[in-house]
Amino acid sequence: MSGITHSTALWYASRATGVVSLLLLTGVTLLGVLVNRQGRLPGLPRFAVTGLHRNLSLLAVAFVAVHVVTAVLDPYVTIGLTAIVIPFSSPYKPLWLGVGAISLDLVLALILTSLARGRISRRLWRALHWLAYLAWGSALLHSLTSSTDLHSGVLLYLAVGCAVAVAGAVIWRIAQAGRDVPVEERAAATLDMMAPRSVRPPGRRGPREHIR
Amino acid sequence: MTYGTTVPHQARQAQTAGGDGDAGLPRLLPVHGAVPVDLRTHRQRFGDPPYSGQAGRLIPVLKAAGLTGRGGAAFPVHRKLAAVARAGTKPVVIGNGAEGEPASDKDKSLLWISPHLVLDGLQLAAEAVGSTAVGLYLHRNPRLQERLRAAMAERAAAGVDFAGVEIFDAPPRFLAGEESALASRVSGGLARPRFKPPMVFERGVVGRPTLVHNVETLAHLALIARFGPRWFRLAGTADEPGSMLCTLHQADGRRDVVETELGTPLRSLLTLDGHVQAVLSGGYHGAWLPAADAARMTLSNGHLEPAGAFVGAGALVALPADRCGIAEAARVARYLALESAGQCGPCFNGLPRIAAAMYEIASPRPDPRAVTDMIHWAGLVEGRGACHHPDGSVRFIRSALHVFRDEITLHGQGRCVDPDRRPFLPLPRDVALSAADWS
Repeated sequence: MSGITHSTALWYASRATGVVSLLLLTGVTLLGVLVNRQGRLPGLPRFAVTGLHRNLSLLAVAFVAVHVVTAVLDPYVTIGLTAIVIPFSSPYKPLWLGVGAISLDLVLALILTSLARGRISRRLWRALHWLAYLAWGSALLHSLTSSTDLHSGVLLYLAVGCAVAVAGAVIWRIAQAGRDVPVEERAAATLDMMAPRSVRPPGRRGPREHIR
Repeated sequence: MTYGTTVPHQARQAQTAGGDGDAGLPRLLPVHGAVPVDLRTHRQRFGDPPYSGQAGRLIPVLKAAGLTGRGGAAFPVHRKLAAVARAGTKPVVIGNGAEGEPASDKDKSLLWISPHLVLDGLQLAAEAVGSTAVGLYLHRNPRLQERLRAAMAERAAAGVDFAGVEIFDAPPRFLAGEESALASRVSGGLARPRFKPPMVFERGVVGRPTLVHNVETLAHLALIARFGPRWFRLAGTADEPGSMLCTLHQADGRRDVVETELGTPLRSLLTLDGHVQAVLSGGYHGAWLPAADAARMTLSNGHLEPAGAFVGAGALVALPADRCGIAEAARVARYLALESAGQCGPCFNGLPRIAAAMYEIASPRPDPRAVTDMIHWAGLVEGRGACHHPDGSVRFIRSALHVFRDEITLHGQGRCVDPDRRPFLPLPRDVALSAADWS
C-alpha cells in the first residue's frame, strides 16, 4: 500500500498525464525504429514518419512537463523542485522518482541535440540518440514503480502492451538489419526496380528484395 | 584572348590563338604548344616559388586578387586558407586532382602539362597555413601519376620544396572529388561524402584541419604569389577576375582544353552556328541553355546564374541539332543516379526514380505522368543530402526538361529528332557495384 488515500486534482492530473506520457514516449520510440528502417505508415506520405516522430516527441515533453509540475505542486507528498532533474534527491520515493528524473534528463538531451542537429556532428548526434531506448525503459520502470496504478486493470494491459510493442520493434529492427542492401548498391538496386529495361545497370539480374 | 591545347592522350597539334598576351594569357599553359613543361623550363619562365618565410603572408594577397576556387564551387580562396590557419594545429593540405566529372579534362591536362605550377601552389598554400603534411589526390592513371612522381623527383633534386608530397589514389567516382569524400578517402576510408558539420577545414583528414583546393586553383595561387593581385586582375572582369581552364566539346565532336579569361563570350569558345541546339554549362551538375541564349552569354556567373546555369569547372558542351536532348539527359541522369553514395534516402531513392522517368520520356509516346512524377521527385530530393549531388543533378535535369520541352512534345506524338538516339555526351561505362569501387 502506498498510504495515499487523499485524492486531489493535482495528484490525478499527475497520474493521468504520466500515463499519456508513457504512451506518447512508446509511440515515439516505435516511430523512431520505423524512421531508422525507412519504413512507411500506410496511407501517409514518406516524410510523415519522420514528421510524426518529431512532433510526438515534442508533445510528449509537454505532457511530461505537466506531469512533473503537478506532482511537485501537489501538497500531499514532498517531492521538491530539484528532484525533477536531479535523480534520487526527492524525499518521497527517492529511487523510483529518481528513475523518472533520469528519463526526463535523457528526453531533454535527445530533444536539445536534435534541435541543434545542424550544429553538432552527425556522429555525436547519432551516439546520443541511442539513449532513447534508455529514456523509454526508465520511463516504463518509473511508471510501474512510482504508483500502483499500472498494476491492475486496463492500465496493466496498457503497460504490458507498451513493453511488448517496443520489444517487438527492437527484435524486428535487429532481424531486418541483416537483410540490408549494402550502401554502395542502394541506388543500383532502386534502378533495378524501375522499368524500362534500358535504364538498369549492366550485369544485374532482377530487383532486390529490399532497398533499405 | 583564348589559348588552347589538347587533352594529353591525344596527339594533335595545339591550337594557339594569335595575340600579344594583352591579359598575360596563356598563364597556366605554355606559350607555345602542348609540350609538358619540365622543371628547367618552368624555372626559366617563372623562377622559384616565392616563399615568404612566414605563415599567413599570402592570405591578404589572395584576398586582393579575388581568386576563387576553380573546382566548381568558386569559393573565395583566401577565406578557406584563413579558416584552416585559424582552425588549429597540424593542418593538412591536399591538392584535388580527382576530376570525376566525365565532361571535364582540364585538371588532367594541367597536371600533365604544367605539374610544377600545381606543385608550387601546394607548397605555397602549405606555407601559408603552416602545414608540412601535403598531399595530391589523383585518379589511378598510371601515366599521369608517373609524370607527377617524375616532376616531384626533379624538385627534390633541386631542393625547391620544403614539404614532401604524398600521392593518394581516388576511385573513378563522380563524387570522389567532393571535399569530404576526399577527406574520408585520404584518411584511409571510402571516398564517400560525409555529413557536415564538422566542415573539412575544421576536421578533415584524420580529424585534422584540412585545406582542399582544386589543382587549377593552386596553379593560379602559385602565379599570384609571384606576380601579385593587380597582375591577376588584368584578365577577367572586376567581379570575376583571372583566367580559367575550360573543356570545350564542339558540335562536330572535337574536344579541347583551353585557357581563357572569365567574361569571355561563349560564342568565342564554342562554335554556335545553326548546327547547335543547346549548350551545357558547368558539366553534369550544370544547366542547359538554348543555343540562341548561350550565344549572348559570357563565361561569368553574373550572366549565367540568372539564366539558371553557372560556370562551374568550365565544362562546356555544344549539343548538335540532330541529337535528342532528352535521351542525352536521360543517360546522364542514370549515370548520376548510379554514382550516388547510397547514404541518404532522398538521393538513392529519388535519383533512380528521376532517371527512370527520364528514360520513359525519352521513349516514343511516353506515359504523360512521367513528367509530373519527375518534378515531384525533384522537389523532394533537393537539399536533403549530405552533399550537393542530388541538388546538382536536379538542376541539370530540370534545365533539360525546360530547354528540350519541344522535344518532349515531339515524343508525345511518337516522333524524335534522332530516332536512333545516338549518344553524344561522354559517359564512363563502369558502374560502382561494391565498396571496393569507392576506394
